[in-house]
Amino acid sequence: MTAMSRDPVTIGRGGPSRAIFAVFLLCTTLSACGDRQSTLNVAGEDAAAIATLFWVMLAGAVVLWLGMNGLFFYLSRVAPGAFPDRLVRPLLIGGGIVLPTVILATLLVWSLTMLPDQRAPDDGLRVKVTGEQWWWRVEYWPKGAEAPVVTANEIRLPVGSRTGFELDAHKVIHSFWIPALGGKMDMFPGRTTYVSLRPEKTGTFRGQCAEFCGASHAWMAFETVVLPPDDFEAWLAAEARDATPPEGDAARRGAALFAAEGCGACHTVRGTEAVGQVGPDLTHVGSRLTLGAGRIGATLDDFAAWVEHTGALKPEVKMPAYDHLSDGQLADLAAYLKGLE
Amino acid sequence: MRRMIQTLAALALLGLLGAAAVVGLGLYNVSAQVGHMPGVSWVLHTTFRNSVKLRATSMEAAPDLSDPDLVALGAGHYATACAPCHASPGTDRSATMRAMNPVPPRIEEAIGDWAPNHLHWIVENGVKMSGMPAWPAAHRGDEVWAVVAYLVALREGTAGDLPTDGPEGEARAYCATCHGRVGGRVPRLDLQDPGYLAAQLRAYADGTRPSGIMAQAVSLVPKAAHAELAAYFASAEGPEDVSAATGADTAEGAELAQAGTREVPACAACHEGAEPRKGPVLDGQTRAFLDQQLRLWRDGTYAHDKLMSAAAQELTDDDIAALAAYYAGRR
Repeated sequence: MTAMSRDPVTIGRGGPSRAIFAVFLLCTTLSACGDRQSTLNVAGEDAAAIATLFWVMLAGAVVLWLGMNGLFFYLSRVAPGAFPDRLVRPLLIGGGIVLPTVILATLLVWSLTMLPDQRAPDDGLRVKVTGEQWWWRVEYWPKGAEAPVVTANEIRLPVGSRTGFELDAHKVIHSFWIPALGGKMDMFPGRTTYVSLRPEKTGTFRGQCAEFCGASHAWMAFETVVLPPDDFEAWLAAEARDATPPEGDAARRGAALFAAEGCGACHTVRGTEAVGQVGPDLTHVGSRLTLGAGRIGATLDDFAAWVEHTGALKPEVKMPAYDHLSDGQLADLAAYLKGLE
Repeated sequence: MRRMIQTLAALALLGLLGAAAVVGLGLYNVSAQVGHMPGVSWVLHTTFRNSVKLRATSMEAAPDLSDPDLVALGAGHYATACAPCHASPGTDRSATMRAMNPVPPRIEEAIGDWAPNHLHWIVENGVKMSGMPAWPAAHRGDEVWAVVAYLVALREGTAGDLPTDGPEGEARAYCATCHGRVGGRVPRLDLQDPGYLAAQLRAYADGTRPSGIMAQAVSLVPKAAHAELAAYFASAEGPEDVSAATGADTAEGAELAQAGTREVPACAACHEGAEPRKGPVLDGQTRAFLDQQLRLWRDGTYAHDKLMSAAAQELTDDDIAALAAYYAGRR
């Protein structure tokens, strides 16, 4: 490493250091492609289409690159010298204008034909997602439902059927993207966009806001849990129910504290007096996998940490940090919230 | 050319030396017994008048200056904050005040023919080097209008007498010159618990809750009396509510207060329900007070409670009007 930093030229010349550098580059690039947030880790029909598009484009690019460089090599090393005049014009026009036009037009038309598939109609379930700063307001509208099942910051889907997403944004532009399941779709304030996804594998996949939306854009994520259809129906039925009353002394103290601290001004816990609409619905927050829209986990300690240090965990978040509460009070609140399953 | 520059440099040096001597050796006589040199008073006074006219406050934010509650509130403040120098109307200043230089004019003279927005600027900003102080709280020009209303009423002969219960007497009676006697922007205290009232007195005293009127009032009452005053005004023994029922229990205000919106937290979560409650009781509070306080929170003038600061951020003028009417209408 010292040799590299002292004399960068050795990177280009020295065989071993070049190999190390290549491996290093590959490692850093690949580490970004974890299983849970990668278009190439195909877990749905729509992601498969995008992966196919990617591989075809990549293969085409490799063939073109080899062809071009092969020609260069042939002309400069194998048969250097004047090229016959009668071949120059056809090569320039054929290889420089006609061939790229045909290839690019074919790829364009093919990829454009894939676009309508990304907006295919749903098989009965609609999910309305609103991008907020910096979290996701989620409403489930099963076919024929008169009122939605409201939740936040987590999306659960049935495997093998197509779910439609109506996307909207509150104040600024966001973008909805679950790479393992399909393409991204922008969310605009005051305009509804639509995308649909058909997961083919069960599992947990990460979604991420893909349009810069303010200070905590990078912290605006969510978990997507793809379930077998029966499990999904059971989960949705449970999610539609009111909150479970607190069990145990700590949770009961936490519930009283939740009311006394005015948490219900911004949060809804269905079945209680908390009916606020500014922040995420907490009716079943205890069963979510993450807190703060994918910011941290959802253990008791995570709940306490989130309530005490909101602004430090998520810069410029609207929720004030409740750092005036004692450790005991934070633990009580955490017990109550974690119990909201 | 060279000679001229040398001469100018020498003159400049002499001037600097002279100025240094005046400052360093105390040559200038600062005695208030010795008046200004001829012409200086005219220069200073003309500068003052033109400076006020150039900077005068906009009348757009001015409330109805003929509102009797506003006039009475201004009178209450005038009685302790302004009268020591400008004297009560119809009387003259003390001999000591008349020995000030410049001498504070009697109030009738001071009001002169100034327009209300000029008076507002003078009372809010004070006048440098004249002894006229600035308003004792920053960014509270909204409060200053009460004093302006009193001054305008005084000029028009409709002001009435100043309250006579000063802080030198019974502290309860002094507070009651406004609380319980004046409506409008003066809040009802009987709604709150003593702990809350005592905390507000502390916040007014140390400036964390900025208010020129309350800072002045609290500074005249001994700290030891705060707890007793808070208990008295929170109890049924305290003065009766005089505010007219000006509220309107509108559906719009009810919806906003009880459920909030995606922008505005539900007020009820902190301001209603059983103890322990996070915020003060709002049911039956005076409408003008609620309106004014919500604006102060929304605009960031108030920042002594992070929850309320966050809650008020997205309120529109219409939201504030609806909420003030709603809570004033609840009894």
